[in-house]
Amino acid sequence: MSRKENRSISAALAAATCTLLGSGVPAPVDAQEEPLWDFNTSLLYYGEDDDRVKDYSVSAIARRMFVDDRYLTLGLTVDGLTGATPSGAIRQDVPQTFTRPSGNAAYTVPAGVLPLDDTFKDTRVALSAGWQQPVGETSLINVGASASKEYDYTHFGVNAKFARDFNQRNTTLSAGFAYSFDSLDPVGGAPTPLTPMLDVGDTSNRTGNPDKDVLDIIFGVTQVISRNLVVQANYSYSMSDGYLTDPYKVLSLVDASGDTLPQTLTPGPSHQYLFESRPDERTKHSIYGQAKYFMNGKVLDASYRYMTDDWEIDSHTVDLHYRIPFGADSYFEPHLRFYTQSEAEFYQLSIPDSQPLPSFASADYRLGDFDAITAGLKYGWRTRNDNEMSVRVEAYRQTGSVPAGQIIGNQAGRDNYPDLNAIIVQVGYRF
Amino acid sequence: MRRTIGLAAATLLFCAGCSSMGVEPWERDILAKDEMQLTTDEIEAATDDHIYFSKEASSGGRGFGGGGCGCN
Amino acid sequence: MQRDIRLDLAEDAWQGRFQAMGSPCEVVSEARKRGDALEITSLVAAEAWRIENKFSRYLDGNIVDRINSAAGRPVEVDDETADLLDFAVTLYRLSEHRFDITSGVLRRVWRFDGTDQVPEPENVREVLQRVGWHRVDWQRPVLTMPHGMEIDVGGIGKEYAVDRCAGLVKELHGDPCLVNFGGDLVATRAPGRRRSWKVAIEGDVTAAPDRIIELKQGALATSGDARRFLLKHGVRYSHILDPTTGWPIPDAPRSITIAADSCVEAGMISTLAMLKGVAAEHFLKAQNVVFWCRR
Repeated sequence: MSRKENRSISAALAAATCTLLGSGVPAPVDAQEEPLWDFNTSLLYYGEDDDRVKDYSVSAIARRMFVDDRYLTLGLTVDGLTGATPSGAIRQDVPQTFTRPSGNAAYTVPAGVLPLDDTFKDTRVALSAGWQQPVGETSLINVGASASKEYDYTHFGVNAKFARDFNQRNTTLSAGFAYSFDSLDPVGGAPTPLTPMLDVGDTSNRTGNPDKDVLDIIFGVTQVISRNLVVQANYSYSMSDGYLTDPYKVLSLVDASGDTLPQTLTPGPSHQYLFESRPDERTKHSIYGQAKYFMNGKVLDASYRYMTDDWEIDSHTVDLHYRIPFGADSYFEPHLRFYTQSEAEFYQLSIPDSQPLPSFASADYRLGDFDAITAGLKYGWRTRNDNEMSVRVEAYRQTGSVPAGQIIGNQAGRDNYPDLNAIIVQVGYRF
Repeated sequence: MRRTIGLAAATLLFCAGCSSMGVEPWERDILAKDEMQLTTDEIEAATDDHIYFSKEASSGGRGFGGGGCGCN
Repeated sequence: MQRDIRLDLAEDAWQGRFQAMGSPCEVVSEARKRGDALEITSLVAAEAWRIENKFSRYLDGNIVDRINSAAGRPVEVDDETADLLDFAVTLYRLSEHRFDITSGVLRRVWRFDGTDQVPEPENVREVLQRVGWHRVDWQRPVLTMPHGMEIDVGGIGKEYAVDRCAGLVKELHGDPCLVNFGGDLVATRAPGRRRSWKVAIEGDVTAAPDRIIELKQGALATSGDARRFLLKHGVRYSHILDPTTGWPIPDAPRSITIAADSCVEAGMISTLAMLKGVAAEHFLKAQNVVFWCRR
C-alpha cells in the first residue's frame, strides 16, 4: 500500500468510528509509556550582605523505578562558596591585623569594622545514593550512603530507615539511623584550642587531621486525622564525637576595659587572639511536629521543632508554608519561618585576661543567642511539556544579642553581635 | 532532658493510640495529591536543611540532621 | 455463563469485576461511595451482557444466529446491527479485504491450541469457498448471504462494548472510570487521585510484564497471539488468518498495543496492523498513533 493510502486510514477510521458510536465517542487520548527515570534539579544562589558568604549551587536528584515499587535514588550537589565570615574577634577602635589560617600571610581589618575571615573560598561536591523497597504488604525500607568533599573537609555516611503501616495505612511508625565519619584537614593544620594566634610562618601550635563521628537516630509516627489533615511527629537523638571546634575561629583576649590586648610581634597579629575550643562531645534531642491541612484547594504546612542539647542550647523553630493554587497549572506559596535559640554554655564575646582560661570558649555567632526570621515566596507552574518548574526568593535575617553579663567596659558602646542578612534564590525543574 | 524525653514518648504513644482515627481507603483522594505529601520538594527541603545547619546551632527534625560539611 | 458481579476495594479505587464476551472484565472507578461504584459496575455489566447476548455467535435466537441460519434468505436487521455492518464494510475496504467478518468459518479447520495441528491445504481451500464479503449482498437494512456462510462480529464486538459502556458511565457519573474488557480498555477521564491510570502490557505468557503505560484518558487495545498460536517445526502460526488465502498472516508481530481516542479505533488499527504482517510497524508509523509492537 502506498504511503498516501496509509495516511488516509486514520482519518477514514476515525470518521467511521464516529458514525458507529454516535455521540458516545470518549475523550481524546493521552497515553505514554511510564518513564523509568525521574529528575529533580535546581540552581541556588545564597548571598549574605556586607561581603560575607555567597554560595552558588547546582543540585540534581535522579530516581529510577524498578519492578515492584523499588527505587534507586542518586544525588549530586556542587557548591561554590566565596566571601567572608566573622572570625569571632570583636571590633576595635583601632585597626587589627590577623594571621591567615594557613599561617602564610596576614590581613588587616580597619578600625570599627567587624573582623571577617575570608578563607572561605571553596568548592564542595556531595554525592548520595539510596535504595528503597517494600517489605511485605505494609512496610518499607530505605538504605543509603553519602559522601562529600571540600578542600578542608571530607564526609562519609550511611543511613537506613524502616517504616510500617497500620490501621489501613492511616498510621505509620518509622525508625531510622544515620552514621557519619567525617575528617577535617584545616588549612594550616588544626590549632591547639585556646592557644594564641601566632605570627606568620609559625605553625608550632598546629596538629594533624582531626576527625568527628556523628550518630543520628530518629523515631516517627505519621497519622491521618481526616480526609484533609495528616500529621507527623518525630523524636531525634544526635550524638557527635570528636573534633567539634571550628579551627578558623578565635576569641579576642581583652583587658579590664574590654579592649583587645595589643601585642608587639610584627608582622603577625596586632593583638592577642586565642583559638576557640568546644567540647569533644555533643548530645542533642529534638522533637518535631508537622501538620498538612487541605482547605478548598489551598494547603497549609505548619511545623514546630524544639531542640535541646548538652551545650545548653535550646531552640524553637516554627515553619509555615501556604500553597495557593493560581489557575489550573500554577501556584503561589508564601513561606514564613521563625527561629530562636539560646546561647551555648561556653559562648562568650571575648576572654578577659584577668581570669583563668575557661575549659571551652567560642565567640562564634552561630552558638549565640539570636532570633531569625525567613520570609519568602515561591511560584511554581506546570510547563508546556507537562513538567514542573518553580522559582523561590527568600530573605533571611538573624538578630542576636550578647548576654549583658558578658559585656565588659568599652564593649558596651559597640555593635557586638554580627547580625546576618541573606537572600536565597532557587530555581527548580522537575522532569 | 528527662522531661523532654518523657514528653516525646508521651506524644508518640498518644499518636500511636489514635488507632481509631483515620479515613477509609476510598477517602484518600486529597491525601494522595502531590501537594499533600509531608515533603513536597526534596531538593528544597535539603537546601533549607543545609542552609540552616550552616547558620544555626540546630539541625534535622523532619529527617536526618543534614550536615556532612565543614560549615559548622 | 457466569452472570455475577464482584466489587472490591483496590487501594484507593473501586474494582468491579464480571465475566463477559469470554473475557474477565473490570470497571475501576474513583466513586466516593460503594453504592455509586456498584451502580457504575452494574450499568457496565448490563450493557456488556446485552451486547454479548445480541451479537455472540454462540447463542441461539439472536440476530447473528438468525443471519447465520438464514440459508440464503434476506434478513432485515435493526439500526445497531446495521451500524456494525456498515462499519465492518469500511474496515473491509480499508484493509484491502483482509478484515472480513465472514472469515469466521475458517475456525472449522484452524484450531489455535498451541499444538502442531496445522490443517491440510485442500481443507483450507474448501472452506475458503465460503469466505468473502464480496459474496454478500448488503443493502441497509437487508442482508442476504449465501447458504453456508457465516458472519462473526467478535473482532469488533468487545471494543464496541467498551466504548458504549464508557459513554454510558460518562453520562451517568462524573467520576473518573476505567472500563477494561480483557485488555481492551478506555479511561473516561484522568484519575483524580493519581497522575494517571497505569496499565501493564503483557508480554509472553511466561515473562513478567515489562512495560507500563501511563494513561490519562483515552483507549488502549491489544492484538496479539500470546495465548493463541500453533507451533510446528519452530514456526509460529499466529491466529490472525488472512481471509484471502485462508492461512495465517506471515510474520505478524506477536503483539501490538495501540492508544487511540476510542477502543474501537485502537482495536481496529491494531488489527489492521497485524494483518500487514511484516509491514506492521511501517503501517503504524504512517498512522501517527502511539503504539507498542512486539515481535
